[in-house]
Amino acid sequence: MPRFGIGQPLTRKEDLRLLTGRGRYVDDLSFPNQARAEFLRSPHAHARIVQIDVEKAKSASGVCAVYVSADIANAGLGGLPVWFMPENAPPGYAPEFPLLAQDVVRYVGESLAMIVAESAEQAARALDLIEVKYESLPTSVGLEEATSDGAPELWPGKAPFNVAFLWQGGDMSAVVTALRQAAHLVEIDVINNRVAIAAIECRAAIGVHDAIKSRSTLYTTSQMPHPLRADLAAIFNESEDQFRVVIGDVGGGFGSKNSMYGEQALVIWAARMLDRPIKWVGERSDAFITDFHGRDNVTHGELALDQDGNFLGMLVDVTANLGAYISGRGAMSPVLNQPALAGTYRTPAIHVRVRGMFTNTVPTDVYRGAGRPEAIYLLERLIDKAADELNIDRVELRRRNMIPADAFPYETPLGLTYDGGLFERNLDEGLRRMDWDGMVSRRAEARARGRRRGIGLANYVERCGHGITQDAQIKVAADGGVTVLIGTMSSGQGHETAYAQISAELLGVQPSQVKVIQGDTDLVAQGKGTGGSWSIPVGGAAMSKAADAIIDKGKEIASHLLEASSADIEFSGGYFTVAGTDHAMDWSSVAASAYDPTLLPEGMTPGLEGTGEFVPSNHTFPNGCHLCEVELDPKTGSLDIVRYLVVHDFGVVLNPLLLEGQVHGGVAQGLGQAVFERTYYDNAGQFHTSSFLDYNIPRADEIPSIEFISNPTPCPANPLGFKGCGEAGAAGAPPAVVNAVVDALKEFGVKHIDMPLTPERIWRTINNAATKQDFP
Amino acid sequence: MEYKAPSSIDEAVMLLAQANGKAHVLAGGTDLLVQIRAGFTKPTLVVDVKNILELRTISVADDGVCIGAAVTGAELGEHDAVKAAWPGLVEATELIGSTQIQGRASLGGNLCNASPAADTVPALVAASAICLIAGPNGQREAPVEQIVTGPGQTSLKNSEFVVQFQLPKKLPRSADAYLRFIPRTEMDIAVVGAGVNLTLDKKGICQQARVALGAVAPTVLLVEAGAKALIGSTLDDAALDKLRAAASAACNPIDDKRGTVEFRVDVAGVLAKRAVLIAKQRAEMN
Repeated sequence: MPRFGIGQPLTRKEDLRLLTGRGRYVDDLSFPNQARAEFLRSPHAHARIVQIDVEKAKSASGVCAVYVSADIANAGLGGLPVWFMPENAPPGYAPEFPLLAQDVVRYVGESLAMIVAESAEQAARALDLIEVKYESLPTSVGLEEATSDGAPELWPGKAPFNVAFLWQGGDMSAVVTALRQAAHLVEIDVINNRVAIAAIECRAAIGVHDAIKSRSTLYTTSQMPHPLRADLAAIFNESEDQFRVVIGDVGGGFGSKNSMYGEQALVIWAARMLDRPIKWVGERSDAFITDFHGRDNVTHGELALDQDGNFLGMLVDVTANLGAYISGRGAMSPVLNQPALAGTYRTPAIHVRVRGMFTNTVPTDVYRGAGRPEAIYLLERLIDKAADELNIDRVELRRRNMIPADAFPYETPLGLTYDGGLFERNLDEGLRRMDWDGMVSRRAEARARGRRRGIGLANYVERCGHGITQDAQIKVAADGGVTVLIGTMSSGQGHETAYAQISAELLGVQPSQVKVIQGDTDLVAQGKGTGGSWSIPVGGAAMSKAADAIIDKGKEIASHLLEASSADIEFSGGYFTVAGTDHAMDWSSVAASAYDPTLLPEGMTPGLEGTGEFVPSNHTFPNGCHLCEVELDPKTGSLDIVRYLVVHDFGVVLNPLLLEGQVHGGVAQGLGQAVFERTYYDNAGQFHTSSFLDYNIPRADEIPSIEFISNPTPCPANPLGFKGCGEAGAAGAPPAVVNAVVDALKEFGVKHIDMPLTPERIWRTINNAATKQDFP
Repeated sequence: MEYKAPSSIDEAVMLLAQANGKAHVLAGGTDLLVQIRAGFTKPTLVVDVKNILELRTISVADDGVCIGAAVTGAELGEHDAVKAAWPGLVEATELIGSTQIQGRASLGGNLCNASPAADTVPALVAASAICLIAGPNGQREAPVEQIVTGPGQTSLKNSEFVVQFQLPKKLPRSADAYLRFIPRTEMDIAVVGAGVNLTLDKKGICQQARVALGAVAPTVLLVEAGAKALIGSTLDDAALDKLRAAASAACNPIDDKRGTVEFRVDVAGVLAKRAVLIAKQRAEMN
């Protein structure tokens, strides 16, 4: 194995640049003659726009132009494209999501007007001069409100009762039969709380138009450059080659930068109108109310069990908050990843119904895990509740229903074919390392200090990387240097390191010889961007095919120069060797020869490069067990997460540092949602948690060191054996910590507590103040 | 906006007295600069008092301790004599912000910013601190609890500013303590704060007590009923329960997204009781 190949803890190539302030984010870019844009955001959650008067703003100092919806509608610009609507259902309704609100604003933060000025300050000042007359309309803000009888409708006549779509999956009659046969039926209602995604780099965009070439370039922050280009083409009704999308360093995305936002099209529109580059950089306060939010659903689950605690069937009813419009991928999370409901268990029948709802809130979109964490949360909470009600040990109940190691391939009732995993060993290893059985004395010791301890666990299986094809192009220069062009997009994961390491493994080069080019649609031919934990499994597999083509050609060249049959050339460790001899050419000689026609076999085209595409035959199934121990102060509700351990199966580990970093981040975000992060819209649709004072993303001192145990199994669907690790942490953490807290609160008669587990929420639950709501 | 950094009290008073428009005193600036940057206040003059010796000095004498109003949290945290005499006040100061903030933040600024949630104020009130105030008519003294009159409001007159805090002579078997509740582990604003200062006799009977609560009313509360519950007792469970009830009863908080009325009221009692237990343990060792 090369020193920096697969499995090595190579430190990140990008860190020197990023940690010394030399990253290149959108706000670091400026263009000559650039003007600045700012957007007027709606202060109302639901209101008719009676009149917008922009005259005063237009004549304000430094202002170049003011645009409202009529301006762009006259030019024929469309709304934001919707990439997914569920299909097997009665036709749903995906409303036009205009770049600027037309007659009605439907959430606080919706854009109404764009001002372009010489400076950002002048544009911001001029915002106050736009006079808008609103006529307020009744609001439906929370899910409870939007689904209640007589709720005000956001889309009258189009989406009755605010229902955007109804979707169902699984075999209802099989579940009904299971429910009839059940000795026990356990029910739970859980709220999967809305979160602000809060990437560290706020959204930003610069539009540059080249009037001579008649092409527009968008510099922005995004996880998906090529899909974004397709969105631009759709909005402007032009071909994709009219646009170039360039993404530099991206300061986090987590799903919030998958779909397109109006500002990204409008900076191009204004650049064309004014013939100058237009730059917009969002503020954090904008981000809280305009970035698409994550999660937000209410779910009812029923688990049918027989006399012995065997799972017979599960019925799940999800009400998902889509916000005022359907964002680009907003309908994916509540629908596409419901198969995660099967988890690691052999539940023979599952049915899930999903109701997508419109509310007067900013739209929701995919967020780390995109439906998997929601499904796993419901399942693992439901199992703990069943164990409690049936008076069966929660570990034993899980063990009894676990898919055994010899059951693969295993068909789940929601249509997945699991290809492997050692689920019970994940569990056993976790229990042992956490000293699960020693909890008795730890509980007593905590109680003696006036505190309460609890422990919880959650098993998960994700499905990753299916339905995505990705190609990779690898070019080898005459000096042996390698350039990887690939359509995934790092938003902090460390792709430059990961792909360099894969190159080192495949081609025997040093990571320092590898350049990775991503995020420029003019340079990279095709791409799906990054999401769904697919970049390394799918991108890596595509690279391996590209490398095969290069090695094959290298063998031809070496065989010609070494005067041996190409079938006898072996490639290993950067050397092309005639099998069984010491005749060899090294990588750089072969690369140099590839560009010298006099050294090539007759008819061979000079150059050394390969393109590979990978079409996965199945999903990958990363899986594992998360365990969490907590201690809380019953008098104040303060919670300490004292231990956190992950037993994981990610298949082959490319780089343990990158992998653990991904899982640390995922766990932190999962614990963030479960413990710290509270979004709050009041009844009028005002968002109150719009700063980091009120919206607590977890800090380093609030998350314990995360312990890691690897329990890998092969991944037959992936040629390099990678399963994908980007989202797993966020999926396992919420049920693990909530199960631990419910365990700690057992003596108070608590059966369930909704996230986030703020001190006040815990205090209220202990004090049985069920009738009192959190304020505001 | 004009920025001045005088080196004497008189010069500072003169600058403030002669200011046209809104003038602000900057002791550490950790609140003021944020407010200016956010556009909440637009002063025409900022007078930085960090260069005035009297405001930067800590002096320890037989009759008590004087702490300059612009002394930083970090300086206070490294002052062994003050830490030994007033551990509760020092803890309250060190709870403010991060390490960087500690290098700037001051007792004077924390008081005069007049936030109901200021951490040092309950500790200063419990300690019976007296403020020395400079102004155009010379210097005057006032108990610290008389300075803040409401959120963002003080009783300081135009051109007046706090020069120093005088803490009384420390009696034997006395100690203070401060606890605050925040929803996270550090760097947050108090949802409840509780400061306590106790004096015990040789038998462990409480002779004097001051109990002050923060973030549960428009201004910091001096809870006399709480002190009454403690004085004359051995700080037994009955007395502590009475104190807890008195502390909760004194609260008049707002309902907001950081904490509801019921929660703040209950936790104020819990924290007051815990602070008494800490102060008791310290007093017994003095």
